[in-house]
Amino acid sequence: MHLVRDVLDKQLLDRDGRKMGKVDGIVLELREDGPPRVAFIENGLPVLLHRLMGTAGDFAALVERRLGIRDGEPVRIPMAKVVEVGIDVRLDLAASETRALAWEEWVGKHLIRRIPGSGA
Amino acid sequence: MKNAVRLLLGVVTSIGGFIEAGSISTSAQAGALYGFRLLWAIVLAATCVAFLVEMAGRLAAVSHHTLAAAVRERFGVTFHVGPIVAELLLDVLVLTAEIGGVCTALQLLTGRPLRLWVLPAAFLVWVLLWVGNFDAIENSVALLGLVTLCFVVAACRLHPSWSDVARGFVPSVADHHATRYAFLAVSICGATISPYLLNFYSSGAVEEKWTEKDCTMNRVVAFFGMGFGAVVSMGVLVTAAMVLQPRGIAADAFSQMALVLTPAFGKWGFYLFAASLGIGCLGAALEVALNMAYLLGQSLGWSWGENLKPKDGTRFSLVFTLAIGLAAGLVLLGLDPLRLTLFSMALTVLILPVLVLPFLVLMNDEHYVGRHTNGWLGNVVVGLIVVGGFLMALVAIPLQILGGS
Repeated sequence: MHLVRDVLDKQLLDRDGRKMGKVDGIVLELREDGPPRVAFIENGLPVLLHRLMGTAGDFAALVERRLGIRDGEPVRIPMAKVVEVGIDVRLDLAASETRALAWEEWVGKHLIRRIPGSGA
Repeated sequence: MKNAVRLLLGVVTSIGGFIEAGSISTSAQAGALYGFRLLWAIVLAATCVAFLVEMAGRLAAVSHHTLAAAVRERFGVTFHVGPIVAELLLDVLVLTAEIGGVCTALQLLTGRPLRLWVLPAAFLVWVLLWVGNFDAIENSVALLGLVTLCFVVAACRLHPSWSDVARGFVPSVADHHATRYAFLAVSICGATISPYLLNFYSSGAVEEKWTEKDCTMNRVVAFFGMGFGAVVSMGVLVTAAMVLQPRGIAADAFSQMALVLTPAFGKWGFYLFAASLGIGCLGAALEVALNMAYLLGQSLGWSWGENLKPKDGTRFSLVFTLAIGLAAGLVLLGLDPLRLTLFSMALTVLILPVLVLPFLVLMNDEHYVGRHTNGWLGNVVVGLIVVGGFLMALVAIPLQILGGS
């Protein structure tokens, strides 16, 4: 498996097929007694922007903290929860168990649900 | 039988969706200034867009992934960020031009100033997206869009010399104002090969849950739909050539173009033009606003779709809401819809190569399209579009300065 080609930037799907963002980052664990191992996959705007431009990532983390969306830390999903890597990355957990949908919920609560006809 | 209806609907959708501010204004100007001589540019551009649309549809039918999603996933964010930001900016300009086009049509119909119509028009676009679902919006706009066939009827009624028309299909060099001629040829390509159309079409295929079985239907819809759509553009060009050129009217404003249907239909011609412009632009505004939400949602992996209620796709709904608001603001600032249209058509050609290049990889990647990979012809056409687009981009900037107005 090529980490960058096959895993990074792929669509993340939860147990029910719900879209929960993309694989925005990968965390490797260095080990003394063996080759490095993939410990987590990461998701979140700060992680993504950090790959493009470091300061933009810091800014996104600041915004997330200020608005109370997340604590500015990336969403980390243990590699053990990954059940399939194809053109999508499928996880054995529910999106609600993570903070991956924090923006979706914040926008819904503060903006969209307040407009008539949103279906809420 | 059910398949026949779907096919017909698909083709009708493409015809009804073909005409908008860009194709009307570039075709009308081409006819007004150069008679039938630029007809070949419409054929060339329509052939290219038919190939690309077919690929975008096939990608979505087989992989259930849209163009924007597949490019992020296959090439990574560092490649993806440039094209996606460029396309989003272009979409803002096009959305502004299309909302401006709706307002221009209402101004022509009522005689009341354009500015008065900006907020009602923008609200109409937004409310349709907010409460509507994909099929209802797509099908109703497409059926209304058939009013644009009046350009074809008008072209026939004016009895052009068909041998002269036929000569227009052979590429030729201008006999006067060569830079303006080249600029118009580039603009026609930009108006026809719309980037938003490609991602919108593949998003629609996912929304309508196409599968591998729909590849044949997709092919027919792409080629016939774009083909018949191009016929409508040609109708605009031919009527403009017959009506405006002999009178020396350059079609520098929509109000001048509005005269093209009068000789064929009398006073109804004026209303038909306004209706065609208004409906065409409304349809395009809906598609472009949706496309911006598609682009961001698919690039960042959100739940997306016009069939979702706003509460189930909150970021998706937020994007088209903000986009429409921004575009309405730009129209209110006084940006001229026609100038903006012509500018964005030339800009399209500039970013086209980098948007089209990923097709070469994706459409040959079995992870995405399985056994439905491109044949040699498809790959050659994509290659030619990239190279041709790149060459046109090289000349588009100087032409914009010298020949654009």
